Amino acid sequence: MTSPAPFIVLTGITKSWGDSQGVAGIDLTIARGDFVVLLGPSGCGKSTTLRLIAGLETPNTGRVLIDGKDVTALPPAHRGLSMVFQSYALFPHLSVAENIIFGLRVRGLPKAERSERLEKALSLTGLKGYEDRKPSALSGGQRQRVALARAIVAGHPLCLMDEPLSNLDAKLRHEVRQEIRQLQQELGMTVVYVTHDQTEAMGMADRIVLMKNGLIEQQGPPEDLYEQPATAFAASFVGSPPMALLPAGKLPPALSAGLADGLIGVRPEALRLAGAGEAGLPARVTGVEFLGGETLVYLDSAAGALIAKLPGRPAVVRGSDVQITWSASDRHLFEAASGKRISNPAGLSAPAERKTGRMV
Amino acid sequence: MSIATPTYASRTSVTLDAVGALLLAVLWIAPLAFALWAAFHTPQGALSFDLFAPVTLDNFRTAWAGAPWPRYFLNTTMLVTVILAGQLFFCTLAGYAFARFHFPGSDLLFMLILLQLFILPEVLIVENYAMVSRLGLFDSILGIGAPYMASAFGIFLLRQAFKGVPRELEEAARVEGCGWTGVLWRVYIPAAKPVYLAYALVSIATHWNNFLWPLIVTNSNESRPLTVGLSLFAAPESGVNIAVISAATLFTIAPLLVAFLIFQRQFIQAFLRAGIR
Repeated sequence: MTSPAPFIVLTGITKSWGDSQGVAGIDLTIARGDFVVLLGPSGCGKSTTLRLIAGLETPNTGRVLIDGKDVTALPPAHRGLSMVFQSYALFPHLSVAENIIFGLRVRGLPKAERSERLEKALSLTGLKGYEDRKPSALSGGQRQRVALARAIVAGHPLCLMDEPLSNLDAKLRHEVRQEIRQLQQELGMTVVYVTHDQTEAMGMADRIVLMKNGLIEQQGPPEDLYEQPATAFAASFVGSPPMALLPAGKLPPALSAGLADGLIGVRPEALRLAGAGEAGLPARVTGVEFLGGETLVYLDSAAGALIAKLPGRPAVVRGSDVQITWSASDRHLFEAASGKRISNPAGLSAPAERKTGRMV
Repeated sequence: MSIATPTYASRTSVTLDAVGALLLAVLWIAPLAFALWAAFHTPQGALSFDLFAPVTLDNFRTAWAGAPWPRYFLNTTMLVTVILAGQLFFCTLAGYAFARFHFPGSDLLFMLILLQLFILPEVLIVENYAMVSRLGLFDSILGIGAPYMASAFGIFLLRQAFKGVPRELEEAARVEGCGWTGVLWRVYIPAAKPVYLAYALVSIATHWNNFLWPLIVTNSNESRPLTVGLSLFAAPESGVNIAVISAATLFTIAPLLVAFLIFQRQFIQAFLRAGIR
């Protein structure tokens, strides 16, 4: 799917401003043509990383390579990339068409080629007929498309996106998500995309880079992060509703996997009601949310609160007491102190451990 | 001044405000109104305030023939143009530097520039005179204009306007290939357009009317602006009567008056808005 030569290489990057740490030392390799999502809670350094790739920030230490060239000291304009900003950053005094070809004009492209590329960008983003409008006369979704059109018109192989969907409403966000993905594949662009929304990351990414406190927590394809979370943080951040993390010491002995302390993580869809004679965790139903195909059951137990995603319409009501259980193959074990995954304890029929990408 | 609650007290204060405003307006317009009256009447008619005194255009003919007015108009036009051009150039660059670049001592330097606003220009007349002479600009348009070009007010105004421009716009322009001059030209200047308009109007009005400094630094008709020319024309020893002086005054202020009427809205609105930011 991707060529073997890495397209972007970050080595030993740190960036801090006085006391505030932006990026605490990361190494990252991005392959050509990949859709890579930098995911993490706010303040984790994902936007800083993107701005370091863009050249809007200069790292304190470390190097940035794009397409084999060291661009650490180059300004953004000489890195051969385009960028979509969270606020779209459209120039209010320019029309849609002028906004899109802004960069082409700056670089002095001949008029004929400008209009040719403009036509292509307009039709790719469905903006035909809006050329002469000012950004102020457009809806949020249309402004977003103009920003996209401006990013693709130059034909740069790399496009950086900083939370481009966060100003759209939920329905539009879903549509545009698909469009961006389609556009990326059609044009064969490498996209580095920043978001704090894990569903966005899961739905779009070839690879997810999960960040926390300026460091990379885990990286790999979305399914790896979901199925083999490397840490308790990764387990709780990826997936919605989040994975239940239960302290082993508070579970009934049959469910504690032989751990004295440590965390046992179970995805909501792996939780089920215990059958007769099966060991279970006693829990009280605190809420029931019927979603159609499945039902979210909110539970409170001695080991803490958890959410179960049960198929269909289970016969539980608010306030009733249930026994909840899970299969040994569905559980994830984490060390209590470090939160690190305890990989494949002996004697378990867990799926074979997959390589979770390049860990740092 | 709440007019939302029509209590007795507030209504009284509104009335007082209106009366006060009206009084000020009448006081302000009175000299202009008198000039308008006097310019179209004979000196006797002008002072008698006889409503049926004969109307005449002779005053304008006399006044126009009495001094090299076209030369004065040319000088004033050149003067305000040179000053405005210099101000736009210097204040744009300085405002941009103070708004977006951090260099050692930039805050201190900006404070010093703001302090300049507290100094009356008249205080500096002697020092400026010496400086202009040393530069060999005495009795020239550039000499009249030079002290005003690096305007502290303009620098402040444009710095504020530039600071109001979202950073992401600048970053987008930089990603799209602009250097710092490109960012200034393509992002900041277009964004500050209303501020430029307001500032230009005020600058033109101020320097069209400026009198004391041009009077001191000029001594020939080749560089004298309208204001100085008018004062020489109206000097008592030239024995010109009030009606003729009024006529001359009217045509010296006419271009400014017309400009004000055209740009009235921008003049007031844009300037108020620019100050708030």
